[in-house]
Amino acid sequence: MAILIDKDTKALVQGITGKIGSYQTQLMVEYGTNVVAGVTPGKGGQRSGRVPIFDTVAQAVDKTHPEVSICFVPGPYACDAVTESIAYGLRLVVAVAEAVPLADAVKMVSLASKRGTYVLGPDTSGLISPGKSKLGVQPDRLFSEGRIGIVSRSGALSYETAKTLTQTGFGQSTVIGLGGGPVWGFTYRNALELFRNDDDTDAVILLGEIGGYLEEEAADYLEKGYPKPVVALVVGKSAPLGQKMGHAGAIIQNGKGSAQDKIRKLREAGALIASAPREIPVLLKEGVRGSR
Amino acid sequence: MLVNLLMKLYEFQAKSILRKRGIRVPNGRIARTPEEASEFAEEMGTPVAIKAQVLSGGRGLAGAVRFSHDVRDVASVASSILEMNMGGERPTAVIVERKMSLVKEYYCAVTWDYQRTCPVLIASSAGGMDIETIARNRPLEVVQVRLDPHLGYSQYMGRELAAKIGLECDKIIKFAGVVNRLCSIFFEYDAELVEVNPLGLLNNGDFVAVDAKLNIDDKSLFRQSDRIKEIQVLPLDRNDGRTYRRLRAKEFGIPTYIEMDGDIGIVADGAGTGMLTLDLVRDAGGNVRAYCELGGEATAELIGKALLTIVNAGNVRIVLVNLIGGLNRMDEMAVGIVDYVTEYPTKIPIVVRMAGTQEDEGRRILAKKGLQYFDNLYDAIQRVASIKE
Repeated sequence: MAILIDKDTKALVQGITGKIGSYQTQLMVEYGTNVVAGVTPGKGGQRSGRVPIFDTVAQAVDKTHPEVSICFVPGPYACDAVTESIAYGLRLVVAVAEAVPLADAVKMVSLASKRGTYVLGPDTSGLISPGKSKLGVQPDRLFSEGRIGIVSRSGALSYETAKTLTQTGFGQSTVIGLGGGPVWGFTYRNALELFRNDDDTDAVILLGEIGGYLEEEAADYLEKGYPKPVVALVVGKSAPLGQKMGHAGAIIQNGKGSAQDKIRKLREAGALIASAPREIPVLLKEGVRGSR
Repeated sequence: MLVNLLMKLYEFQAKSILRKRGIRVPNGRIARTPEEASEFAEEMGTPVAIKAQVLSGGRGLAGAVRFSHDVRDVASVASSILEMNMGGERPTAVIVERKMSLVKEYYCAVTWDYQRTCPVLIASSAGGMDIETIARNRPLEVVQVRLDPHLGYSQYMGRELAAKIGLECDKIIKFAGVVNRLCSIFFEYDAELVEVNPLGLLNNGDFVAVDAKLNIDDKSLFRQSDRIKEIQVLPLDRNDGRTYRRLRAKEFGIPTYIEMDGDIGIVADGAGTGMLTLDLVRDAGGNVRAYCELGGEATAELIGKALLTIVNAGNVRIVLVNLIGGLNRMDEMAVGIVDYVTEYPTKIPIVVRMAGTQEDEGRRILAKKGLQYFDNLYDAIQRVASIKE
């Protein structure tokens, strides 16, 4: 199976009746995701397409046994919804909502780590294992099945990179969006650990950006030795200081978190550095050859 | 409302909240003209501190915080501060406050430790400098107490913090009293940061907040609107074009709007691809004038407003729109672009790169209006770079 989801993985959709939730559920089902249930409080007993809707996660778990959840509940209520899925033991919750209050994001992420649940996000595009399953909002036609893992903070940057890879003949095993930060329930490090032992992944692409601590943490991890080639791209080198660049976590403060600094650390840890997505296929060819 | 712009409060706004919560602050008033400043100084008596009200840091080094021992100097000092330009930001007002004589300066803050995902109390007995400098020069004098995000704050933590920075007896109780109040402000206001630096110790053993920062989490506004309404705001100076345009962009609901000094406008629908576009335009020799990022919940109306905002920044020679939507639908984005050029016919070329959800339909809508689009980002950037004045 791919690292986190597969064709058979039973998925729950929270906030399935909203405008985004219902449209994206339809796209996931068309893609082949095994969506077994949806939850919207007050709409239990209805259906979204062929997917049965429940009022609570407890009912959905009892009747349909989902293992993972994708949560489209908007920012103000997202913490409650994600907590509900953590409480019922789902092993992975994708928190799509963009505007989750910081205090709520901290609560959901810290609870998840105590309970051993992976929370992807918040403010994430989710994940896709092309040709198998999709628990996210990616434009799936840009992706193709293959053996390259991608992990990115930004959703759009992962689409851009997957598109370039697909056009140059590199398919993807799993593509993960970590979210806009500044707190993350799932990190590059988590992804690298899973890709490390994944027989379906030959190389990993790490797409970083300015601000935060994630790329540095990944470099520390890679420094100890990693069995597969890693290609890294860090964007934001021309962003002005002290400005949040669309992601709460993408800000250079007190001189920390610059693209140059992150690139240097990743290079020292053994990653091959690309300065644009179109350089990635070239480096992949080098890296895969070099590792053999 | 200026306060809504960045959710960083000005010093006078932060201090008024601290004062309401029982933290002592110096006796001071907000002055918008040199005459007012002089009048207030006369009322409260010298020496006074005169401090620019700006959101950018580094006021001390820039000369935007000054002291005066003679009432006759206050107007000219205030006047020179009000005319300053700090990285594009002009002080809208100055605080005139009584300069207090301090026995010692401390540092105290409550913020988030993002990596450990918890709130953290920070204190130092080496206040007055910026905390990064203190941590670098005197690392042993910066202490922290981390809070469990689910259990929150208990008063013993404030006493623990005070003891850790070497305070004793009564001073522990008084310092912890400040920490208690800062913590309740931090949680009630959904703050990213509340910081008092310096927190001055007076002869009588009291602590006074000589400077204060309060940054509110902009994702919590929906539950902070009542508290925000109570914050005193300054009338916006329309002559400060940059601030005015940023405020307008915020009102339009554009998540990120940034101005720089070049002549290219950029609209992107993702933070990562937006930064990539900035980098690639720079690599191709271009300079960006204005940048809008739309986020993942963009509508036709929003992209139209983003284009309007970009063009209104002035000095824009060409606009590059880079869209690669997952949540955002390209058909809807195309409608927004077409509506914009129909309503505001412009000679400024708009180069569109479009890919992602519903891209075929989106491209069809653009083509019907005679708008050129690219599938490949590099082709679009090449096109932008090739159009010179």
